[in-house]
Amino acid sequence: MNLVRAELERLGARRFVQLMLVLLVLAFGVTAATTLAGSHRPTVQELSDARANAAEARRHMDEMYQRCVDRVNGNLPPEAEEEYFPADCNELDPVRQERLPVATDFLPGVFVFAQQARPLLYFLVAFLVLFGFLVGASYIGADLNSGGVVNLLLWRPQRLAVLGTKLGTLLGAVLGLSLLASAAYLAAFWLIGQAAGFPGRLDGEFWRGLGAVHGRGLVLVLLATALGFALATLGRHTSAALGTVAAYAVVWELGARLVLEIVDAPRPDRFMLSSHVGAWLTGRAEFWDGQACGDSGAGFCDGFYTLTWGPALAVLLALTAVLGVAAFVAFRRRDLI
Amino acid sequence: MTAAIEIEGLRKTFHSLRHGRRVAVDGFDLVVGAGQVHGFLGPNGSGKTTTLRALLGLVRADGGRMSVLGAPSPTHLPEVAGRVGAIVESPQFFGNFTAHRTLRLLAVAGGVPVSRVDEVLEQVGLRDRGHERVKGYSLGMKQRLAVASALLKGPELLILDEPANGLDPAGIREMRDLMRSLAAAGVTVLVSSHILGEIQLICDHVTIISRGRRVATGRVDEVLAGFDQHEFRVRVAEPGRAADLLGAAGLPVRAYADHLVVGQVSDPTTVSRVLGEQGLWVQELTPLRPDLESAFLELTGEGAHPALPRQVDGAEPAHGASEGLIDLDVRVGRDRGGDA
Repeated sequence: MNLVRAELERLGARRFVQLMLVLLVLAFGVTAATTLAGSHRPTVQELSDARANAAEARRHMDEMYQRCVDRVNGNLPPEAEEEYFPADCNELDPVRQERLPVATDFLPGVFVFAQQARPLLYFLVAFLVLFGFLVGASYIGADLNSGGVVNLLLWRPQRLAVLGTKLGTLLGAVLGLSLLASAAYLAAFWLIGQAAGFPGRLDGEFWRGLGAVHGRGLVLVLLATALGFALATLGRHTSAALGTVAAYAVVWELGARLVLEIVDAPRPDRFMLSSHVGAWLTGRAEFWDGQACGDSGAGFCDGFYTLTWGPALAVLLALTAVLGVAAFVAFRRRDLI
Repeated sequence: MTAAIEIEGLRKTFHSLRHGRRVAVDGFDLVVGAGQVHGFLGPNGSGKTTTLRALLGLVRADGGRMSVLGAPSPTHLPEVAGRVGAIVESPQFFGNFTAHRTLRLLAVAGGVPVSRVDEVLEQVGLRDRGHERVKGYSLGMKQRLAVASALLKGPELLILDEPANGLDPAGIREMRDLMRSLAAAGVTVLVSSHILGEIQLICDHVTIISRGRRVATGRVDEVLAGFDQHEFRVRVAEPGRAADLLGAAGLPVRAYADHLVVGQVSDPTTVSRVLGEQGLWVQELTPLRPDLESAFLELTGEGAHPALPRQVDGAEPAHGASEGLIDLDVRVGRDRGGDA
């Protein structure tokens, strides 16, 4: 317990952590301020117009679908034959659309919380992932590099306990901060929506969806934190973690992707971590496979495939676990000179 | 005698792709009795720091047996860690932390009352600078901070690797006084240093390591006695004639510009008598006692080629060259006849 207290204090006293917190607050402030400045509460007239526009848009969709069906059935007048319709009219079927136009789609200059909450949360998660990775890497990297770990081991000569406490404290602190930051962030924008915008439809489905993204985002933040910690432990330096990520991005995400495309490898996106990160965060990610349909050109071919959150989480967990275990094994055996 | 530290047959070899295999410690033995102030001497790269790091569990030994305060190290080191204060080679600290905060964090982690922080800062002379950032400290101040961190636990055993590094003469003196006061309070101290004069002043026992092997150990006066050739510096009015007379009396004599060095003098009155009987009156008759520096240089081969740049110990130990303990027949070959 004493060690956890000391580690928490050490973590909070790090300049880098403080700098990242300032950046977080700054990014939060700028986003909130610009949102506030660019939004206004819709007037009754604006709301009425928006509802009318949404109804018109839905009516237009119904009409288009009906015309498509009529064309298939040969019921369209000759002058309408030149209009473009998809081969499959189901694509236009309003019932099959993910969402239908709603009034809030037609409120220009109005911040609609129900619409913007999710992208705003993605932005926060992205920042927290960066925060977690950098803080995780620098926390242990600087300690290994500066002799702080050696000093600590002279007091507590239990390597695994010391490293485990460091990681546990780090993850706990990052989780706590992420929860606080996301709560404050969403609350602030909810207030902006209430006071200077429009809340939108905040039903149970909305909150469940937002909660799921939030939960998955927090898991991603913790995985990134553990990954930064593990890489820096293995490389004995913060820069080892940063270098590994940079090298991975250039060599694999860019270079290997290019090579896989050149050799016509099937479904190259499934080999990329970024695909799994996207699939995990959003629940499912859809990719186009150019090789799926071949060159026959005969008939309809759906070249899309999806990655779902389950396998994506398995990949991310496995990677983090392997690197984490390797870091602990290396640290246990390493000569600290 | 209860041993505070026991090392037997310690071996450690480092392997690296760039530098290949390097034997750092090769069957090293060390016994530090409880209550001793024990000096640990050796040239750069001789294995001192590796030995201390292995003892403290920071480096994995390839072989040998070690114990600290009776607990096998490193397996049972956690059981006694609270009673051992240590600094190992130039300790480093977070530059942005103050000395006070650095020590407070260690105290919290180690379950030591935070009130100890001010006490040890006072003890090492950093009381007035304790709330400044460490990055503004001189090397000597950082060294004081390191010693403070080692003292924080109120240890029974203090292991200090080069504690005088970077200290000015006044700081070295303060460190000496500090170690003396700790020893007087019953703390066992193992101190490695290059400053041989300091070791001789502070320590009652000494162990000398060279190329990873122990080449001498024992009480400081016993180790030095092994190098005593019973030499005396003699000044007389006619050194040439005096040399002849002393030589004729069976004493080995080396003549220098203004004095003689006479060896194998078991009784200094012999010199006075031999010369006095021939009307030569002795102006100076000074015993040339061996000092730790001479012994150290002799044992570690550091003084063998004074004209050549000395190389840091890096090669594997020359087996046989320094086997076993001090050979008491070893004679100090270099001239100690100057102003020794």
